[in-house]
Amino acid sequence: MIDRGSLAIVFAARMRRSGLLLAFLALCVVLSILSNRFLTLPNALNILRQSSINGIIAAGMTLVILTAGIDLSVGSVLALSSVITAQLLVSGLPPLMAFFSGLFVGALLGLFNGILVTLFSLPPFVATLGTMTFARGLALSFTQGKPITGLPESFRVLGTGFVGPIPVPVIIVLAVFLIGMFFLNLTSQGEQLYALGNNPVAARFTGILVKLYIIVVYSVAGVLAALAGQILIARLDSAQPVMGMGYELDAIAAVVVGGSNFNGGSGGLAGTLIGVLFIVVINNGLNLLNIPSFWGQVVKGVVIAMALLFNRVSVQERKIDRESV
Amino acid sequence: MIQRYNSVLILIGLYLVLAVISPLFFRMQNLVNIFMQSSITAIVALGLSLPILTGGIDLSVSSTAALAGAISAGLIVRSGWSVFSAIGLALLIGIGIGALIGLLVVLGRLPPFVASLSLMAVGRGLTLIYTEGKPISGLPAGYIALGSGSSGSIPNLVILLLILTFMTHVLLSRTRYGHHIYAIGGSADVARLAGIPVGRITISVYALSGFAAAFSGVLLTARLWSAQPTAGTGLELEAIAAVVIGGNSLMGGYGNAFGPVIGALIMGGIGNGLNLLKIPSYIQQVVRGLVLIVAVMADFRSHRNNAAAI
Repeated sequence: MIDRGSLAIVFAARMRRSGLLLAFLALCVVLSILSNRFLTLPNALNILRQSSINGIIAAGMTLVILTAGIDLSVGSVLALSSVITAQLLVSGLPPLMAFFSGLFVGALLGLFNGILVTLFSLPPFVATLGTMTFARGLALSFTQGKPITGLPESFRVLGTGFVGPIPVPVIIVLAVFLIGMFFLNLTSQGEQLYALGNNPVAARFTGILVKLYIIVVYSVAGVLAALAGQILIARLDSAQPVMGMGYELDAIAAVVVGGSNFNGGSGGLAGTLIGVLFIVVINNGLNLLNIPSFWGQVVKGVVIAMALLFNRVSVQERKIDRESV
Repeated sequence: MIQRYNSVLILIGLYLVLAVISPLFFRMQNLVNIFMQSSITAIVALGLSLPILTGGIDLSVSSTAALAGAISAGLIVRSGWSVFSAIGLALLIGIGIGALIGLLVVLGRLPPFVASLSLMAVGRGLTLIYTEGKPISGLPAGYIALGSGSSGSIPNLVILLLILTFMTHVLLSRTRYGHHIYAIGGSADVARLAGIPVGRITISVYALSGFAAAFSGVLLTARLWSAQPTAGTGLELEAIAAVVIGGNSLMGGYGNAFGPVIGALIMGGIGNGLNLLKIPSYIQQVVRGLVLIVAVMADFRSHRNNAAAI
């Protein structure tokens, strides 16, 4: 039997967990009052399409942060895999082959990160910072700093196509999140990922292959960064070696605004999805309200800090939970 | 004992190798060049090493540097302030930004990464707004001398770096405050139980980091003869790399004042050597990334017990 006291506790916990969702809905309500263009179908699709690149990267980043790691290399991985795909396309390789080659490059770079973090015990911050630097250098020297343009129409569908009224990138990002959520919440591997994020030593003693998991997670983050890159160049019809600079910080911001914890083991993809949408909606609102772009950064910084302060009670609570275990 | 001097050995070894490869390397003029080019990163890294010693991080240093450079330049050129008071206000703004990060970390309980990330965005935005996206030039000679002048044969930048390094060294190794910083990095909970004012010290290390960032922004402006709205982009990662290559632990509690400076000199030496060898700038970036990984790998293998439990 549930008495009223514990019902209240359950209710309070729910409220806190959905604090971000409430803040997000409040932001949408305010924007739809301020601008009559906000709550229209074209604008909604626009928001979703703009969310797709950061969304796909942030999904991978969520997994990495769940293992108490971080991946600073995603922006450079995106650039290197994109310029390689573009070069292959331009030199006449079938689009599907070029596409998978790009993803393979992303997987290799992610694998490299994972090996540095596990087998060589480098702090993830430094390992991925190194990869970030040299992958950018490779992208620049591969292209000699010049953009590659003129991608075939059959490849560009990935960024510009529609299925019915829905843009292809939106379908891809939703698929990524659905598969990720299924994996994290409904499989034993997902459960083990949370366990090793919470306490890697205990996880190892219970027989979880901690190092293997971490290597796989970094590889997946690399593949997803590469996938985001493919969509981006398909939309822009151009691959540039300087693409994706600063994307790592956008993705990390989305993950953390979404409630995942840097200490690992808590959070998830649903929060990240809201975090991604949150940031895009802020930018969208600033555009609709004709606020100069220079102010955009200021507002973004303030809103991210506010969202986190708003959420801090729940973070504290989880910390106490973990300490008492 | 050898572990402690790992980064010094890497520095000496690197410079010897470069001297063998290129006869131009050990010329006095070239060495002074390396020091000058490394000094701005080194000063940022010195300040940044304090939050890192407490187990935190400060990503806002790059935009704080840009903001301080822009505001000091703008106040002098547009509003007719004196050099001294304009720089003074810019440094105060740096301290203020740092203190705000500290408050968010201590009172708001935000992870330092995110707290400083938000202020990084805010700082860069404010810089763009203040400069309207355009560089500010026309600085008086007194300002420019800070970054481009020299006293005797030694550049002012190098003298300032040496003074700041010495001060940081004394602060960390000879004062109670310094010992408290190490204690917090070792374990904030234990430090708190030992009666150390963890909150106040945490706020102050971010304020000092903001000060160093603002100061380096002023020096950068003086060296470039103008304040650029995009100045210092990527400086935070360069400074973090310097701290880590210098042998300070990214997890806090371990390191000294010389590490960040040596780290900056290692990176400066690599850049300089690659230039002397006429290696294209794109390849240089590849080399720099790989060196970062290898240097840290060497350092971590030597004191692996300090590394994470995984």
